[in-house]
Amino acid sequence: MNWVKLSRGDAVVWLLAATLLVSVYTIFWQADGHGAEAVVLVNGKRWARLDLFQNQDLDVPGPLGHSHIQVRDGQVRFVNSPCPNQLCVHTGWLNQGGEVAICLPNKVSLQILGSDPRFDAINF
Amino acid sequence: MIKTLGHILLIFILAFLAACDHKPVAYHEQLLVFGTVVDVKLWDVEEAQGRLAVARLADDFDYMHNAWHAWHPGPLGRVNQLLPSGESFTLPPSLLPLIQRSSDLSRRSNGLFNPAIGKLTALWGFASDDPPKGPPPSAEAIRAILDQQPGMDDIRLNGLTIQTANPALKLDFGAFAKGYAVDRAIDVLRELDINNAVVNAGGDLRAIGRHGDRPWRVGIRHPREAGILASVEVEGDESIFTSGDYERYFDWQGTRYDHIIDPRSGYPAQGLSSVTVFARQADLADAAATALFVAGPDEKDWLPVARAMGVSGVMLVDDEGKIQLTPGIRERIYFIPSADNERTRPEIRISAAL
Repeated sequence: MNWVKLSRGDAVVWLLAATLLVSVYTIFWQADGHGAEAVVLVNGKRWARLDLFQNQDLDVPGPLGHSHIQVRDGQVRFVNSPCPNQLCVHTGWLNQGGEVAICLPNKVSLQILGSDPRFDAINF
Repeated sequence: MIKTLGHILLIFILAFLAACDHKPVAYHEQLLVFGTVVDVKLWDVEEAQGRLAVARLADDFDYMHNAWHAWHPGPLGRVNQLLPSGESFTLPPSLLPLIQRSSDLSRRSNGLFNPAIGKLTALWGFASDDPPKGPPPSAEAIRAILDQQPGMDDIRLNGLTIQTANPALKLDFGAFAKGYAVDRAIDVLRELDINNAVVNAGGDLRAIGRHGDRPWRVGIRHPREAGILASVEVEGDESIFTSGDYERYFDWQGTRYDHIIDPRSGYPAQGLSSVTVFARQADLADAAATALFVAGPDEKDWLPVARAMGVSGVMLVDDEGKIQLTPGIRERIYFIPSADNERTRPEIRISAAL
């Protein structure tokens, strides 16, 4: 076999291959149990889908009023909600795939989605 | 020769495509029913089949929630209104199996699980949509109910006719109805030929079959901190139920009063943060979690109850975060180090075998 000089076309192919390799790694090896997305349900219906790495605050309307949901650096939580027992607020930050916080009186629920959540179910 | 190879290749390709056609499908839906979020995960089902099954479960949960609610008006409410009269009357049929099964479990728990103490639960303010704010009830008011010792043995059943001579008896299936409902949900799924599923009713679950080529993975939440305390794998058929003092409680002058009332003292059970019970039947796991929470953190108190009730595993977390495990569970459970504060592993003691 003769070694030939790398042509411009070859260089482009190599470059493309390298780029592809890097992007495939970034895309497929990020799932480490941390969910990157959360879903907000109101009365069981999907109200919003949240990117957990896009910091934002939402007022989610339920039958009792607005539940305030906060997204910060890969985590999400109920900041306040017009419910008497505040169980949703006490649940605190969610950051793992499958974790759930709910405000039952206001019928708002929050769950982290994950391409590969560590758990199929959470017991508590 | 080339032709034969070509045929073999063709068969392989077709087999491959056929496999694609029968790719197992997961179906996941959340229901806001039974006063909680019921999370249903099904494996190896068609989407339409899954949707149909979950709709059926939603209807059933709604029905059971209304029929068995301890303080909303409905069939159980009417029964509780009629019981103190001392007269015989006809029971709404859906309540019969609930009374029979819970009476049996109450007996096996030596009365520590006692659905007849609805008056005590109500006295403490836990029979309400809003959690109580205190103060705790007076010792005299508690004593007045305790002195009459309401228990499931006070109920006389004759077919669908019910009667009791104990005026202090009030039924509250709060520590049992969810487990019973989860069992019925699993029955329905099996009738519909769905044999790989998790039904998780607000953190208490029963899992059957497996998730494709691996078991179901269950995380057990930490009773005191955010995040997961431990994980365990489940396959075949198993329920995991947890009773905790963090679920419903109020603080009054520096003391936490939780919703699990000790039928012997009339006061909230003390000493434990949470009890997690493993058993095949969800209703047994539910009742046993309450009974063991009442029994308390001392092994000589809770172990005989766990044995008498026939649970398959127990994990207790006491007030100080110390953990007790039955040997069978120790082999299966994996404790997850807390990421927040790099805590050392929790203190774990293995109990005698069940």
